[in-house]
Amino acid sequence: MLLSAEKVAKHFGSFRAVAGADLAVEEGEIVGLIGPNGAGKSTFFNCIAGDAAPTSGRIVFAGVDVTAAPAERHARLGIGRTFQVPATFEDMTILDNVMVGAFLRHKHRGEARDRALAVLELTGLKEQARQRARSLGTPGRKRLEIARVLATGPRLMLLDEALAGLTPGEVQRAIELVRAIHAQGVTLVIVEHIMEVILTLTRRVLVFNQGHVIASGKPQDVVKDPAVIEAYLGRGHAQAKGSG
Amino acid sequence: MTRWGLLALAAALVAYPWLVAGSDSAAFLQDMGALVLLAAIGASAWNIVGGYAGQISVGHAMFFGAGAYLPLLVYQHWQLPPLVGVPLGIAASLVIAVLIGFPTFRLTGHYFSMATIAVAELVRIVVGNWDFLGAAIGLQGPATARGWYDVIFRSSVPYYYIFLAVLALLILATWQMQRSRLGYYLGAIRAGERAARSLGVPVRRYKLYALMLSATFTSLAGSLYALKTGFIDPDSGLGILVSVQMIITAALGGAGTLFGPLLGAAILVPLQTATNTWLGGSGSGLTYIVYGGVIVLIARFEPGGLVELWHRLHAARRRRLEMRHAA
Repeated sequence: MLLSAEKVAKHFGSFRAVAGADLAVEEGEIVGLIGPNGAGKSTFFNCIAGDAAPTSGRIVFAGVDVTAAPAERHARLGIGRTFQVPATFEDMTILDNVMVGAFLRHKHRGEARDRALAVLELTGLKEQARQRARSLGTPGRKRLEIARVLATGPRLMLLDEALAGLTPGEVQRAIELVRAIHAQGVTLVIVEHIMEVILTLTRRVLVFNQGHVIASGKPQDVVKDPAVIEAYLGRGHAQAKGSG
Repeated sequence: MTRWGLLALAAALVAYPWLVAGSDSAAFLQDMGALVLLAAIGASAWNIVGGYAGQISVGHAMFFGAGAYLPLLVYQHWQLPPLVGVPLGIAASLVIAVLIGFPTFRLTGHYFSMATIAVAELVRIVVGNWDFLGAAIGLQGPATARGWYDVIFRSSVPYYYIFLAVLALLILATWQMQRSRLGYYLGAIRAGERAARSLGVPVRRYKLYALMLSATFTSLAGSLYALKTGFIDPDSGLGILVSVQMIITAALGGAGTLFGPLLGAAILVPLQTATNTWLGGSGSGLTYIVYGGVIVLIARFEPGGLVELWHRLHAARRRRLEMRHAA
């Protein structure tokens, strides 16, 4: 077991963003998290990434309890994450952005640079290495975020809607990139709205609604689950689907 | 900056006192040169934490004051050479940096700036009421040199070269930092703490490193000031204007750039000296107006400072040339 999250809850005052969610991820898996907007996916993600401390529950990564650990410790242990709204370092060059990630495991500038260049090659950003991050559009920024995380040498990558807002062609290229990263032995957990992505990339999905995991299993089965249809489209649709 | 540009700048700085030596107002110009370098040291030191790490401290007068007070304090009370107080000032600044850094670095943006103002003003008020530290009157150094170790010179030229050596050391240290993990991490912190943390940057620890490095050189600037003027009081050593001057100087030239602070100092100090000379004692209030005007201009037209403006104009000219070639 690479990651195990047990009964993770996160409350903001009386609002329960995540109300006791479980997730277990084996090394080498690609797991999808889906659910309507406001279902608590991103908050759950933030708990796993160390960006927010859970109100209760326990998170163990590679045998280490990381429940209350800060985000930088998560990164050092091998958990990398991207952000829903790309948080690239705008005034830095693309190469420098990725070097910040590479410095985590390479103390010296030369080594960090080599690592960053290798990652830029893989992610197809090498041509633009000298440009500032601000010159990139949304697809480029999302790609840069993935590159930056990859440079930290993660064992587990958390992608928070890394493919949202891309054109169909870009989505295809991004899917290929995720496959290439997976082929390097990186385990992935992805939050995604695009069903095509979930269906092509993952073997297992968890469906969130109102802070709870309401279904889990193979993506093909889960999308037929009445509870899932209800969560997305409302009760009427679920009944219509059930009787029809 | 290109290698030749750098060499030309270094040569000009080394030759400056000789170049103006023939002028009618040689002493005045040499003194102003020394003041430019001193302002550049202060602004470059502030630049490490305020520019590179993006933490706008408005309390750097604390470190400047520690560096300025200790050399004169060891003289006043124990007749020791002021030089002895220089490392003590640095040590005191480092202690203050750690004490201030831990609680205030939890704050971000304006809250951090306001906290640094509050602490610095508190220090100024305490020192201004503490007889051991000269209270409101301040402290004085030796009137005449007892030996070389008192570092007292009649001419400004020796001070000029001492300041130039310290500035060169500081710029070299900053250049090294810029290229190292520390520099990259500070840039990441400035651009976005949350993203930096997610990439494994221990944000508070690196902010503290930056503050300690910055405090060391700010303290050194304070010591050099005290050694040159031989006098310090709460306003000249710890006043908020001391901090503001460092910020404006760095911001005008370009915060977070290697030579921005020097450029800012080369513009602001002569401007200030000019207003003071034209208007005499009544001109000191004008300094505030000049600073205010500079803040408005930078904020409105070029938050990146003159270095950024130069880069932009340069890039625009290159694009025009390329287009002309293409046409």
